[in-house]
Amino acid sequence: MPLLEIDNLYTNIRLKKGEVKAVGGVSISVNAGETVGLVGESGCGKTMTGMSIMRLLPAAGYIASGKVLLDGRDLVALSDDEMRSVRGNDIGMIFQDPMTSLNPCLTIGSQIAEAVALHKRVNKAKAMERAIEVLNLVGMPKPQERINDYPHQLSGGLRQRVMIAMALSCEPKLLIADEPTTALDVTIQAQILELLDSLKEQLGMAMLLITHDMGVIAGRADRVVVMYAGKVVEQAPTEKIFASTNHPYTEALLASIPKMDGSVARLYSIPGIPPDLSNPPTGCRFAERCRLATDQCRTTEPALLSKEQDHSFACFHPVGIEAKHVKVAVKEEAAEIARIEHSERKPLMVLDHVSKEFEITKGAILQRKAGTLKAVSDLSLTIYDGETIGIVGESGCGKSTTGSMMVALEKPTGGKILFDGDDLFGHKPKELRSIRSNLQLMFQDPYASLDPRMRVGTIIREPLDINKIGTPQEREKKVISLLSEVGLSSRAVERYPHEFSGGQRQRIGLARALALNPKLIVADEPVSALDVSIRSQVLNLMKDLQRSHGLTYVVISHDLSVVRFLADRIGVMYLGKLVEIGTGYDIYENPAHPYTAALLSAVPEPEPEREKTKVRKVIKGELPSAINPPSGCRFRTRCERATDLCAQEEPPMASFGTLHQAACHFPLISKVEIRTGASAN
Amino acid sequence: MIAFLVKRVGQSVIVLIGVSIIAFILEHLLPGGPAKAILGGRAFPAQIAAFNHANGLDKPLWQQYFIYVWHLLHGDLGRSYKLNQSVNSVLATDLPKSIILVGSALILSLIIAIPVGVFQAVRRNGIFDYAATSVSFLLYSMPSFWLGIILILGFAVNFHLFPAEAPQGQSISSIITNPRAMFLPVITLTLVSYASFTRYMRSSAIEALAQDWIRTAKAKGLSQRVILFKHMLRNALIPIATLVGLSLPSLITAGVVTESVFNFPGTGFRFINAASTEDYPLLLGIIILIGFLTVVGNLLADITYAVLDPRVRYR
Repeated sequence: MPLLEIDNLYTNIRLKKGEVKAVGGVSISVNAGETVGLVGESGCGKTMTGMSIMRLLPAAGYIASGKVLLDGRDLVALSDDEMRSVRGNDIGMIFQDPMTSLNPCLTIGSQIAEAVALHKRVNKAKAMERAIEVLNLVGMPKPQERINDYPHQLSGGLRQRVMIAMALSCEPKLLIADEPTTALDVTIQAQILELLDSLKEQLGMAMLLITHDMGVIAGRADRVVVMYAGKVVEQAPTEKIFASTNHPYTEALLASIPKMDGSVARLYSIPGIPPDLSNPPTGCRFAERCRLATDQCRTTEPALLSKEQDHSFACFHPVGIEAKHVKVAVKEEAAEIARIEHSERKPLMVLDHVSKEFEITKGAILQRKAGTLKAVSDLSLTIYDGETIGIVGESGCGKSTTGSMMVALEKPTGGKILFDGDDLFGHKPKELRSIRSNLQLMFQDPYASLDPRMRVGTIIREPLDINKIGTPQEREKKVISLLSEVGLSSRAVERYPHEFSGGQRQRIGLARALALNPKLIVADEPVSALDVSIRSQVLNLMKDLQRSHGLTYVVISHDLSVVRFLADRIGVMYLGKLVEIGTGYDIYENPAHPYTAALLSAVPEPEPEREKTKVRKVIKGELPSAINPPSGCRFRTRCERATDLCAQEEPPMASFGTLHQAACHFPLISKVEIRTGASAN
Repeated sequence: MIAFLVKRVGQSVIVLIGVSIIAFILEHLLPGGPAKAILGGRAFPAQIAAFNHANGLDKPLWQQYFIYVWHLLHGDLGRSYKLNQSVNSVLATDLPKSIILVGSALILSLIIAIPVGVFQAVRRNGIFDYAATSVSFLLYSMPSFWLGIILILGFAVNFHLFPAEAPQGQSISSIITNPRAMFLPVITLTLVSYASFTRYMRSSAIEALAQDWIRTAKAKGLSQRVILFKHMLRNALIPIATLVGLSLPSLITAGVVTESVFNFPGTGFRFINAASTEDYPLLLGIIILIGFLTVVGNLLADITYAVLDPRVRYR
């Protein structure tokens, strides 16, 4: 008998008019000690399924029918009091955002201890002892001292450890982890995933891992359940689902993820958007977006059938093993590199020993200088006309600050930025304004970066209005042509941003950035707020526009696969420093800097075999403070190869190939003398 | 925290100096003046000059101000010529009575408003929520003198349940020993402040309940009671603490109208009388006291804020 058996579960959410059928007949089982991955895009019902198990649905939500059996006991039928004794005791739960999931007014110790005291019926002192014990278990450094800390005193990674400690404090049989690492940096993500895996082994519990990230699933789950629009569309053991995909949605989902090996020139993208679940379509819910759909799919709902004992899917026209996979264009990497290396290169922007420091003041009346936050230190970089530079690094590495300086929103405190040979900050404010039209920014959050009270037409036209370009009629025309370029209909002009989906809003943002025919677009996390299938649409669009407009991109992202897909050259930043730069191949296949290598190994890839056998070089510890960065090489505090030399002397940039440079005393590959002597950065 | 306190006390002193200067100047701009007030409208100019000279009122205004401040620093608020009593002794008899009246109304209103607000938030958009919202809007929009009169009409005139007038004794004990007579004035003030407290409490509880950590607490299996009173309440009380701190000067100001309606011998009633009888030293003393309470209330609110919310660390 499985530990958890969800049987034909229907969960609805009441609206003012009608209901959202969030979960529409889901059956999933989880065996003791097993990890089941529940994947899908936002709105597919994966979180609602998790919440239904815990019976923690939002106020308007309710379980319409179905059973949730835990050890044979139907949780749906339990009284509220009985259910409370299951929560936190038999089932533990971890949530996505550790920043908001802990009570800011209570110490972490008391927050963990209260669950212990409640379920194990022990006194406060005993519960506190147990809290220290589990904090130790989850790798909290010096738990005795930390027990009286408040959540705001801890970093995101440590807070997530506290969340895990809380969920595990009563040794539950089942752990539900809802996007446990989505809000964390990759190196911290790797630490947390590793921790969850080893704890699962130690405690012998089962885990339901809810995530949108196929990479996370590939390395951690024994079995995968794919959900789409409230229904399970396919389930199978992890290796099988990746190797012999049967449902067209699963296939499309996998094909729309950029690969870390850079082999894909153009991503597959699923057309359209998921259906409205307050009025779900009859027939297969994926039919509208499916490349194989027939009339049968639109009228009859396919049942979840087993092909083999452990592999089932709901589709009339499964993707066979022979007719495998949608075709994706393959990138000729060697040719690409040759093109970059040999092309006539004209520098568009030069960052010359650029630094940005923020002063931190202290004191009641006299604002004394207390320290300097070195956001960016001595960064040199040349951006050539028409190329795409990717900048990767963890949060706090200074990549966004660098981007802001490139578009002249922040003024460097040291060094110079040359744009088209001119010092960007040597101009009068009025001249700078006209130069700014060449430098545009594409924002991360498509919800916050468009004024909700302006019509889309006005939003896109505004840059033209401000710069008094063309007559009003010409501006209107330009707006329409921009909209069609980013794949939106001209009717969008009259509508407001909230009427559009995330991906469509990101298109609007792109149209706005393009309005002034800029030369350089800095895209700061352009797709990190979007779902996988939507993400690939936007990424493809960005590539197309670059070709048609002759754009130069600077793509800033924490997502290494996105950067690999878009960028010709990639710079890796760590704590305000550029530590390595090179072509995609240099960085991903042949990294010289230990940080680059560690960062890469931390990224979960949607390749189960690679993920499960991967020797993980998990970076220990957390990012040091940029207020007092370590002396010498800034990475030395977390580096395996560091010696005394690294603390004393800052490593200079050295060449490892024509376009490949890194700053390390003990690089992973050997240095190369470049005869021309020309700087490649 | 110490540095913060020093800074805030410094600011407070500046505010108080400002208040005293403005009040002092305004008072001297008013027609009449103490001499006429004491000696009567038909006093001879020579008598007035002699009076002014004897009381230092013929000195330049700035000198008079500094003399006043000097006395103030020694805890002397001056002398009411009208009552022939020091302002200190007037306030010493009136203020405790006002504190009892307004203070008990404040506490009572919080005792009612916090649970009602929380319950409204938990059962949001239910029948109780709508009813309580209507009641608080009704009370909020009603002037306190009107509410007082209505209560007198209902409970004293029509039903004779409570006296229409507040207890009249000069001592505190005469006030405390007559709770029946205190009932209507206390209830009037309670209802008025309840209305605003419960609105704030409701909205801050709704905000707190929507937080992710409430979901975490539920996932731990805690009971609704523990979630509400251990987790939610402390967070939701933070804005209320500010509100209560800011209402400290209402110890006097809230009574101005209500004390008059109920003929309650407190500071607010005294304030009105001082204004209408041109008792300027007393008026000035009370104004400075209100200023002082405002400043102290703000400071207390900030300190409470830091105590309730560990994220707040004043620098």
